[in-house]
Amino acid sequence: MKNLPTLKLSSLWARLKTPLVVFVLLVIWELCVRAFKIKEYILPSPIVALQHLFLPQPDANYSWIVHIRITLNELVISFLVTSVLGILIAIGLAWNSTIKKIIMPAFVFLNSLPIVAIAPLLVLWFGYGLKTNILIAFLVSFFPVVINTTVGLFEIEDDLLDLVKYLHGTKLQIFLKLRLPNSLPYIFTGLKISSTMCVVGVIVGEFVASDKGLGYIIINSQYTMDSPPIFAGLMLVSLFGVALFGIVSALERLCMPWQFRGRNEN
Amino acid sequence: MRDGSKPLLSLKNVKKTFTTGGTELKALGDVTFDVCPKEFVSIVGPSGCGKTTLLKIIAGLLPKSSGEIIVDKKDFDITREVGFVFQKPLLLHWRKVIDNVLLPIEILKKDRKAMEERAQYLLALVGLEGFEDRYPGELSGGMQQRVSIARALVHDPKLLLMDEPFGALDAITRERLNIELLRIWQETGKTILFVTHGINEAVFLSDRVIVLSARPSRMIESLDIKLPRPRQQEVRVQPEFGAYALEIYKSLEIG
Ligand SMILES: Nc1ncnc2c1ncn2[C@@H]1O[C@H](COP(=O)(O)OP(=O)(O)OP(=O)(O)O)[C@@H](O)[C@H]1O
Ligand SMILES: [Mg+2]
Repeated sequence: MKNLPTLKLSSLWARLKTPLVVFVLLVIWELCVRAFKIKEYILPSPIVALQHLFLPQPDANYSWIVHIRITLNELVISFLVTSVLGILIAIGLAWNSTIKKIIMPAFVFLNSLPIVAIAPLLVLWFGYGLKTNILIAFLVSFFPVVINTTVGLFEIEDDLLDLVKYLHGTKLQIFLKLRLPNSLPYIFTGLKISSTMCVVGVIVGEFVASDKGLGYIIINSQYTMDSPPIFAGLMLVSLFGVALFGIVSALERLCMPWQFRGRNEN
Repeated sequence: MRDGSKPLLSLKNVKKTFTTGGTELKALGDVTFDVCPKEFVSIVGPSGCGKTTLLKIIAGLLPKSSGEIIVDKKDFDITREVGFVFQKPLLLHWRKVIDNVLLPIEILKKDRKAMEERAQYLLALVGLEGFEDRYPGELSGGMQQRVSIARALVHDPKLLLMDEPFGALDAITRERLNIELLRIWQETGKTILFVTHGINEAVFLSDRVIVLSARPSRMIESLDIKLPRPRQQEVRVQPEFGAYALEIYKSLEIG
């Protein structure tokens, strides 16, 4: 009975320590800007940046909420496309080793291209707008899901395959009952990495292929050397990144209860 | 148990040579024996002599190099009516215990719903009542091996291949499970081919003990164990029990 309150306190601490660290960093940032009198266009203080977000700015010709919704929409669609396509591609690669030998080098090549640099080319080919933006985000972020899922589908103890083989199970059964569940941890690792890269991809896409969204605000404010909205935009973007990562992690727990059964978070 | 009926399974001059990187390794020299329906046959032999290899060949997991494995396809479908207890538990860590037990049902595309009760029953039989919804990671090694025994029985196979199933257990659990296994065997009328290192275990369980030599292995002895059934722990102190064990021990030393 007696250690109940301490238990609660410690779990409260576990939940709050990350936000607290962020808050402390923001305070340090604010204090530094004030102490060293840094000019606003070089580094605005977080309060100034947040003011841009929450208080109406008379000279701003954009509405945050509209652009936030656009970016969020793009992010969700891009990440869904990346996840589904990425996993499907990996399954294709794992299904047939000839396919893998032919296509894998192409993917490695594609991934080593600086997508940011070829993004303008993509705009030229596919035009301005959502589709091109999603394509750019996909190209930036698909690789980790594909690689991790492929590895996961192969990394299975050979002896486990005997369980299905001695009863003359099919290749499909081996895939569905052994390889796929076995690869879940790998898939989620891939999705987590891809989720953060997808945020980058969406913003890069907005830089070049869009006249809407947070990426557009950031690049546009850069032209006018208006730093506070850049920082406000960056704060939002990183918030979305963290949120997406959190959603994937929550999904991971949901899909793999055996991994987390009986373990306390800390 | 052997009553002159025709064998469930006949091995004739089964040989196995592994070729890895140009070097040949003769695992099974020449193995010939029959297993009759409802018979409990144990195989003993030195480590590395090819016991696991032999079971895997019978189960179709490894190709044999030469020889024959003969079954009467009319009464025994060796592709579906075999249960295999591997040397390691090999549970799927993402499946609950009950779902692990039901894996063969899914692979054989039988009606899972109808078999759930049977799976529960088998778990109770191996002493794991109440553990249905646990994950393998939450069980001890011995409990995992017992799950794998329930799994090997769930599709009601005619032939049970067991590869040192109790090798990793402590003596007390092992002897308890020996008695359990004999009970299951008697109740279900299965044919069992049981690989073990334990000479006493082999004598205690079997109708017949087959002794294999070191690599390349051949059968050096096939010993009928004519101890009365049902067997309880007391059998172990009968003089005949010791005589059988000694005979197996001696042939292992020679081979
Ligand atoms: N896939 C393989 N490739 C090459 N050699 C193998 C393979 N499997 C087994 N062997 C060899 O065949 C021999 C027999 O192996 P096996 O596993 O059948 O022995 P065992 O009698 O079951 O031994 P233990 O009692 O230690 O389990 C060993 O020398 C082993 O090295
Ligand atoms: Mg073995």
